[in-house]
Amino acid sequence: MHQQANAPAPSQPALRAIGVSKSFVSGNLRTQVLKDLTLDLDAGELTLISGPSGCGKSTLLSILSGLQKVDSGRVQALGRELGELDLRALERFRLQNTGFVFQGFNLFPALSAFEQVELPLNHMGMSRDEARRRARLSLEEVGLAHRMRLRPAELSGGEKQRVAIARALAKEPQLLFADEPTSALDSANGQMIIDILHRIARTHGTTVLCVSHDPRLVTHADRVLVMEDGRILSDRRSAAPVIDSHGTPS
Amino acid sequence: MVALARKTLIYEWRRFLPAILAVGFAGLLQLLQLALVLGIFGSTSLYITGSSADVWVGYPGTQNVGSGRSIDADVVSHILMDPAVQRVEPYIWVDGDWRGPRETGGVSVFVSGIDPAADGLMFSRVLPAALRARLAEPDAIVVDRSALDQLGVGLGDTATINGHQVHVVGIGSGLRALGGVNVLCSLDTARRLDNDTADVGPTYLVAKLRNPSEAQAVAVRLRGDQAFGPYTTWSSADFARRSVLYWLFDTGAGAGVLFLAGIVFLVGAVITSQTLIAAVNGSVREYATLNALGVGVAALRRVVLEQAFWVGALGLMGASALGILLMLLARSQDVPVVLNVPAALACIILAMGLAAVSGLAAMRSLRRADPATLLR
Repeated sequence: MHQQANAPAPSQPALRAIGVSKSFVSGNLRTQVLKDLTLDLDAGELTLISGPSGCGKSTLLSILSGLQKVDSGRVQALGRELGELDLRALERFRLQNTGFVFQGFNLFPALSAFEQVELPLNHMGMSRDEARRRARLSLEEVGLAHRMRLRPAELSGGEKQRVAIARALAKEPQLLFADEPTSALDSANGQMIIDILHRIARTHGTTVLCVSHDPRLVTHADRVLVMEDGRILSDRRSAAPVIDSHGTPS
Repeated sequence: MVALARKTLIYEWRRFLPAILAVGFAGLLQLLQLALVLGIFGSTSLYITGSSADVWVGYPGTQNVGSGRSIDADVVSHILMDPAVQRVEPYIWVDGDWRGPRETGGVSVFVSGIDPAADGLMFSRVLPAALRARLAEPDAIVVDRSALDQLGVGLGDTATINGHQVHVVGIGSGLRALGGVNVLCSLDTARRLDNDTADVGPTYLVAKLRNPSEAQAVAVRLRGDQAFGPYTTWSSADFARRSVLYWLFDTGAGAGVLFLAGIVFLVGAVITSQTLIAAVNGSVREYATLNALGVGVAALRRVVLEQAFWVGALGLMGASALGILLMLLARSQDVPVVLNVPAALACIILAMGLAAVSGLAAMRSLRRADPATLLR
């Protein structure tokens, strides 16, 4: 880690992995999950990583988002060298710049949809009014304006995932990571989540990196990376601009 | 700020109830134990705390009120010479053997010979003026109502102490003794009941000062003069503490209290920490998500600690309500229970300490809230 952390130049990719390798040890067995992987991701794009389970796509996501360290190679996010940041600095970086959407919605049972979204904002050092304004806007954006006083137990699976997206979105992150965001949802709800993620990339200029083996997502992504055995097999950009199949979600 | 800790506690109260109950019962047990010990052993200093004397004069080395030796009666003139002293009166302690009218066998009694004058210092706080006045009658005694069965007497009955006849002219309350029965009488009656020819003077002299806050300084000042034979002085607070500590350690009760406090703390902490750990584990994915979003581990720890604090506070509130009820019940049944501010504080500190230790233990399981584990 000898490169200086620079501010991102206009031409610089939002996320960059250079020669990244990662392996896990379980028992006596050492499994190489990522093998000398190099990748650039541009801002304002919805990039999909797909591939069979165990191909290393989730590990790549956690490394690019600063949740895990690499064994060798470098990761640059928004011009910062993630390898040079300690635990605290990484937390701060994630707080300012990243949003996450997970397969399980991971909402606190005790909090209303509005509070779920407001909670992380409280820690960003903004005023209460600003946090509430953003939470409201964000829930409106995912079409939950009328459901924001309800707790997770009173929401459907699709609504819960939209709350989780609103929670990530309210931070106005430059990087949004989603891990199998649709796999627990039926097709209508899955489609709605895909549209929201895509719109976020377009309208907010957010770099959205989504890991999924959901074939419905493939047609909506700006770029599709297929992984196998810790390597990228194919890198395909969709030629035509993607059109929302639905309008604004209800 | 979204009150995550409190909202979770309210919404998932069933999950936290065992911890609240554990803290509550640990606090209650501790409270009642302390109140009982203070009540029982506090009665060993009743002679001091129930009187309005500020300085006590007695035989050097006396370890508790009940084991005094007689001192020279002339010491009184030396004490009175001190300008701070307002009033001095003798107090005679006689160990007696009680023979009642009914079949009670011999009962060991502690005879307290006091000045029956209306402004007498001894037992002024526990003996009503009317009862005190009746003691002026020769061979009249007053006993506590809780000891009537033990002594086998009622009001107006006659009995003997050390072979001398006495009769019960009054029944008081709050005069319980430890290891025997208190019998109050006048100084003259007490002298008659004392068969020990070696006892020439009073067992103690008790003095009231013009300014009670000077008790410690005056007690020190009055010491050291040997002209009237051996004697020493204590402030009443000192002497009371000395008596209670003597009993606590002489009987091993002090060690017992500490031992039980340790056990209660341990059991309470195990239950409370297990409950809190389970609560953290139940929300570990949500905590991990917050951490992924950049909410620091320190902030998550604060949430767990705040939950522990509320568990402790709620447990304490329950314990206080129940404790007050039980104390009132005990009082109504003449069970000696006493609770003072330091004891109550000790219970509060113990219960909150228990909650804090459990919270710290639960905080450790936050280490499992690693956001990378959510990406599997």
